[in-house]
Amino acid sequence: MADPYQPRPPFAPWDRRELPGLFDVEESARRIGAYKWAEIKLFEALGGWVATVPELDVKMRLGTHCYKHAWHAELWHKRLPELREMNPDRLTKPANDAMVRFVEALTEPEVPERTIEKLVGVYRVFIPHFVAAYTFHKNNTSEITDAPTIRSLHFILQDEMDDWREGEMLLQSLIDTPEEVDRAAAHQARLEKLMVAAGGIAGPGTIGGSAIQAGGPNGSRTHAGGVA
Amino acid sequence: MRKFFPVEELARDQRFHQITMKDRMADPRSALGTATGERQRSNRLVPSRPDASQAARALMHGIFVGEIQALEGAGRTCHDFRTQGDAARRAQDEAHGADVDDVDDAVPFALKLDMARQAWDEARHVEISVKLSDWMGSEIGEFAENTVLFQAACSTDPILRLAGVNRALEGLAIDVFTTMKEFGGLAGDPFLEFCEDWMLADEVTHVKMGSDWLRKVTEHDPDRRKKALEFQSVVDKLFSYGGTRSDSQESPIGLARRFRELAGFTDTEVEEIAEVSLAALDERKAAVARMQAAAAVEHTLATN
Amino acid sequence: MPVSVSPRTFQFVHFDADLIERVATGLTGALGFDRPVAIEVDETTPLARVTVDLGDTVTIHVESGAFEDTRRPRHQSEQATAVSLGRVLLRARDRLVGGFGEAPADDQLTLAQRSAWEAYCAGRLERLGLAVNQQRFRYDFRNRHGFRDTADLAFERLWHSDGLTWGELAEISRSASADAA
Repeated sequence: MADPYQPRPPFAPWDRRELPGLFDVEESARRIGAYKWAEIKLFEALGGWVATVPELDVKMRLGTHCYKHAWHAELWHKRLPELREMNPDRLTKPANDAMVRFVEALTEPEVPERTIEKLVGVYRVFIPHFVAAYTFHKNNTSEITDAPTIRSLHFILQDEMDDWREGEMLLQSLIDTPEEVDRAAAHQARLEKLMVAAGGIAGPGTIGGSAIQAGGPNGSRTHAGGVA
Repeated sequence: MRKFFPVEELARDQRFHQITMKDRMADPRSALGTATGERQRSNRLVPSRPDASQAARALMHGIFVGEIQALEGAGRTCHDFRTQGDAARRAQDEAHGADVDDVDDAVPFALKLDMARQAWDEARHVEISVKLSDWMGSEIGEFAENTVLFQAACSTDPILRLAGVNRALEGLAIDVFTTMKEFGGLAGDPFLEFCEDWMLADEVTHVKMGSDWLRKVTEHDPDRRKKALEFQSVVDKLFSYGGTRSDSQESPIGLARRFRELAGFTDTEVEEIAEVSLAALDERKAAVARMQAAAAVEHTLATN
Repeated sequence: MPVSVSPRTFQFVHFDADLIERVATGLTGALGFDRPVAIEVDETTPLARVTVDLGDTVTIHVESGAFEDTRRPRHQSEQATAVSLGRVLLRARDRLVGGFGEAPADDQLTLAQRSAWEAYCAGRLERLGLAVNQQRFRYDFRNRHGFRDTADLAFERLWHSDGLTWGELAEISRSASADAA
């Protein structure tokens, strides 16, 4: 056995985590507040839709996914005080008014004949944007200082990818005709435009780009490496 | 999407046929008081009943559709009520004409998280019920779906909804699952006993959530708590289905006193439920006697 | 052979006596019945028991639940009518054609014997072309004989059999139950 008193490097050779990150505490909290708000809106919508969809398999999936997004909201709710936001409600808000309009349009379909639209909104627009926002956050925050957020992001992204796959497969099983393809595409385009106007789930700069380079929505950047 | 969802619009595929409590109670036939021999002594669902398999299948289908409605109820609670502190939703509700100063309409964030968790649990229960129904030789939609659970339980007041869904509906589920678990144990059915045991654990959790939130939210509002408990009592009586669930051996489903205690019901509350259930049984028997007498007179007049 | 149904009109349920008669006539023809059949429906109860008196006329007493469409309470199901009548007519025919002389009266059958006989009847009905849910009868058989492979094998044997005697049927049921014990 190796000598336990022999000095070893604090970071093992395979541990390539870096200290620098794109977000300071304030920006991280702002983003997480926006994520929490969006996850709440999603679990509320999924829960509300359960009664409105006649397809039994979809009904059960919506109920299951409803909880997953509630749990994501709970993770973010618990993270906020750790980021110096002692009143989590203060930051639990939409990134901007366009995001509110997106959620209103997302939740507009109600009648039982519009299951395709309901699923398109969630699984072809909202969740892909969650995946993008979370992936960007995970890949750009400090791997050491913000490890608790990264851990939550790992769990959440696993859920998002699983749910995305399930939702997409449900959609493919429901879309049978060229007309239904058009319906799905039209609704997706409508929602996507609203999401573009919002700039993503956390607003402009959700996945980097010019907003980040220009200093971001809050103008505060700790851009010590990685993305530029 | 509307804030509250009417029971008549619960979405189902074409296999399902829904009936209301009114339809059910309008049936002048009754299994009560007409049986002979062993059936006269007990209607409790046990394997020794000659019709045990059919009765168990029918009850399992009732569980299945009940779970769908419970899933829908929990999901609607996630959606219908504003989260305390959600300023954006408050503005949206206000834009849609809601009275946002009505603080009773907002619920704690943690309560909604519990309801979302319950939605997942109920979705699993639907899955389990489908599998068990298949195992027992039933088909989806084989029996009429009574929509009373959603109708009675889904109040527009969040605290009344908690009392209706989490304490009355889920309380009934505790009674039903206990009966089915015992049935599975006596029959030696490994799947039935196993699954009912798991579902029972979830239901106790759901009732406890309801009990805890009811106490917490109405801590400084005794009038509201009283109103919620009164509402629950009305729903409990309705959910006794004219005596289908009570302490009496004439009822197929018994009252699961121990599990109710675990779920946060006090002894007094359990006694009250026992009383309203027995009252429902007696009322149903009297109503059936009246309907049968009236029908007999009609029949005599028609044949003379 | 003639089939009669009473009552002709119903007060408590939405049943059609002509439909019952038509279904029963088809079944008695397919099963080669040699004597009249009288069907008496008790519409005052939703229970689903069906009993039979064998004589020069075969009299079948049916509680309304046996013909009911469980999707739509108080309405009739043609399929339920056919399966309920088919089972009891087959049991009656078993007794009439011989080989079942030692069988106890219907109300003296044990629950296990009854479920075994039901499985034997339902299997034959399926081969006659009726829509029968096999799993439903398997579940009842398991409830009466145990949830184990040997019970399932016994069920399969009954389901696929023709021309059993009471002695053979009772032995299949007994050995399945004995194994469970």
